[in-house]
Amino acid sequence: MIFPVLAVVKKELTSVVRDGTIVISILIQLFIASFSSGLLLGMLSLYDADTIVQFGGNIKIGVVDSAENRLASLMRERGLQVMEYATLAEANAAYFHGEVLAVVDTPQDVNGLTQVDLYLPASETTSSLIRMVIQEPLKGYENYLRTEKGIELRYADLKGKPATSFEFVYSVLIPMLMFFPAFVAGSMSVDSITEEVENKTLQTLLSAPLTLNSMIAGKIIASVILAFLQCVAWLTLLQLNGIVIQNTGWILLLALMIAGITSTSSALSAVLLKDRERSQFIYSLILLASAAISTLLNISPITTMSRFAIGDAYTSGLNIVIFAAFLAGLCLLLSKLSRRLLV
Amino acid sequence: MNQILVIAWREVTRLRKRFGGGASPLAVVGLLALIGLSAYFLRDSVSLGAGLYRVGVSGDVPLIEDSRFAVLSLTSEEGKVFLEDKTIDVFIDGSQVISRPDDRSQYAVRALKQYMEAAELTRVGNSYDGESAFPLRVGINYLDASQPTGGPDAAAPAEVIIPSLTPPPAPFTQVLITLIYIMPITFISIFFTSSFMDEKMNRRLIVLLSAPVTPFQIIMGKMLPYALFALSTTALIAYFTKTNVLLALAIFAPTTLFIFAIYLMVPLFYRTFKDTTFIAMLVTTLTTAYLIFPAMFTNVNDLSYISPLTLAVKMYREEPFGWREYLFPSFPMTAIFLLTMFAGTRLLNEEFLMGYKPLTRKISDAIYLMLARSKTYLSVPLWSLLVIPAVYMFQILFLTFATNLPVRLILGFTLIASAAMEEVIKSISIVVLARHDKAGSWRDLIGLSFLSALGFLVGEKLLVLISIRMVSEAPVAGALFGVGLLLFIPLIAHFVFTSIVVLTHTKLKFPYPLAVAAGTIVHFFYNVYVLRGGF
Repeated sequence: MIFPVLAVVKKELTSVVRDGTIVISILIQLFIASFSSGLLLGMLSLYDADTIVQFGGNIKIGVVDSAENRLASLMRERGLQVMEYATLAEANAAYFHGEVLAVVDTPQDVNGLTQVDLYLPASETTSSLIRMVIQEPLKGYENYLRTEKGIELRYADLKGKPATSFEFVYSVLIPMLMFFPAFVAGSMSVDSITEEVENKTLQTLLSAPLTLNSMIAGKIIASVILAFLQCVAWLTLLQLNGIVIQNTGWILLLALMIAGITSTSSALSAVLLKDRERSQFIYSLILLASAAISTLLNISPITTMSRFAIGDAYTSGLNIVIFAAFLAGLCLLLSKLSRRLLV
Repeated sequence: MNQILVIAWREVTRLRKRFGGGASPLAVVGLLALIGLSAYFLRDSVSLGAGLYRVGVSGDVPLIEDSRFAVLSLTSEEGKVFLEDKTIDVFIDGSQVISRPDDRSQYAVRALKQYMEAAELTRVGNSYDGESAFPLRVGINYLDASQPTGGPDAAAPAEVIIPSLTPPPAPFTQVLITLIYIMPITFISIFFTSSFMDEKMNRRLIVLLSAPVTPFQIIMGKMLPYALFALSTTALIAYFTKTNVLLALAIFAPTTLFIFAIYLMVPLFYRTFKDTTFIAMLVTTLTTAYLIFPAMFTNVNDLSYISPLTLAVKMYREEPFGWREYLFPSFPMTAIFLLTMFAGTRLLNEEFLMGYKPLTRKISDAIYLMLARSKTYLSVPLWSLLVIPAVYMFQILFLTFATNLPVRLILGFTLIASAAMEEVIKSISIVVLARHDKAGSWRDLIGLSFLSALGFLVGEKLLVLISIRMVSEAPVAGALFGVGLLLFIPLIAHFVFTSIVVLTHTKLKFPYPLAVAAGTIVHFFYNVYVLRGGF
């Protein structure tokens, strides 16, 4: 009984390796991973004031001086280079000589409000950059004005470290690399099952000493093995890159469960619909729907995966049980419905 | 035209039959409704870093409703213990925030800072009048770099902002809006692919080919319903997001054609179902990357105009753009569409469709079929010239890919990858012809290498001419497309590299990848020399 299943597994695996399709899959994942981190790098360097100040060199801003200019000192604290000028005309002249990138006029009281005039270059690129780095000092100045009016903004002095990169790695990159192989495994199961039907090779296959269920099981197992191997490879690569990942055992188990769930549910849709076009379509809809529902029910495997990876104290093997139970249910359902493939 | 319409109608009927039987349409509608509903509920709660931080609170602390934080109510003592043993990342005791010095805790503090800032602003905005809560107005004025004004002018500022309520301009949200356009187009084109595959599978396509219709009519007919559907979704989205429908159509029509063109190639090349799945995934990833990545840099870098999404972002911001900006992304996309249509008409024959060969063999056969019907001295340079837009897109993708590398490797990687790409493009046509014994003598090979180099150079310079204003501002792109003003030296250089590849492969019998590597290395050093200001 077990040997025919193994034979199917072996056949599926060799065909994937021979066709070279698995190479494309790995290429896609590599591309998605580097694309999304490249995107993040771009976002970080262009839309993060910290990075701009750190790497942007000296950003010189001209300030029209007055006796006590709180805004100017806030800009210095931000790491900007502030040049003081006596009048706006002088500051503007300095701008046209290229000494400063932008000019900030003296704050003035207008009908109970404080107004500051900002003079920026017409070039969109430079002006949006300056607006990004000057945002923090302006907000600080606004807070200072609020305090003067007796309004206290709480938690205004929090600092911390920029978390974008950390959040990206643990909540996007790791779950994506762990679940994308599962998603591919589902598609593969649909392909290999519907291919037997559409090529009319199913009957021939079943005339061998092989039951329908073990044929389907073999195809699912082959897809899951491939997904699992990819997950192991990604985890190793991530750790070689110096990303600290806790609970690797649980992470792999969770990835295995999810690959099992996607392949079984895709096999289910293949068994019921029997052609690739509709099965793939329904499978991807199911995938989207279950991602949404699991997030809604607060049992999202993505969050569980992130929490495992950062070593969250409240996340343990118990969180995987629900996915295992769901997988068992799906397998049972599939074994009951598999006969439909022959009808 | 009539034939095309007949095939188009047949396609619509086919699709209706396929999805008409049984309860499946109901199920599809149900599932779609479910997804829509969940997306509606999830629209605010899904964010970068969902579930990453555990926060302990005690005393009077504003309610933390953000998917990034899991909140625990603790007493003051418990909080400190939990923080110490790393069960929680940060502890808020009344108005005091306690953290550990390690990274994880500090990241949590920064995330908390962002959340609290917004929450406190809302609180202050609700409990005080507008002028006290937001006491600062910043007038933004723009200075023209060329003309110094006489002095402080009394002109009103271009815009007046409240700093805490006005985030600095970033195109991120608008890029996401424009992404909504791409998703239906991709989805619809997947159906287009499936339809082709289905017909290939049950051999109806072969029957169709023996009927008195041309391959061009078949492709157009099958594409028409899907393309119209895709364009009408574009129009609908534009209408519902209250923007200029005609402008949106003009922006996204080349993109639609481009995506369809690429998906047309999938069924022509696949051998097994798994192939299709993987190729389709690869194609989706690459096109999405190509479209989104540059758009992120709207208004930051002029190279962002290579993506039509940048135009869409501008459209949503009601900023004007000119013909150059429009043609810059649209021309290569349309050119690729035309090229694939041509390829499609040549490849749509029984032998090519049904052959089971390694993918590389299939590609080489495809190139041969595209070249074979005309004289080699015409087809080779034309091939090199017409493939330029595709080369250009791949080079952009290399650049995207390279941003992930350490900074000092970016330029090197991009240069090597694009040199390799160019060498493949210039030599592959000749190599394929030689394999089919259409060219063999030294004279043939060298002559064709020269023509191929010439075609490539002309195409390259035309592209630079079209895009000179945008690209010239970006040094890396300048290097990619060649900065040498003298046409003679680059021509000789291209000719030499191509000859190296062609001759080492066909005459010295080196494997093709090795031959390309040889050409690439020489090409790379030439590029480096040019970049250093050699010519």
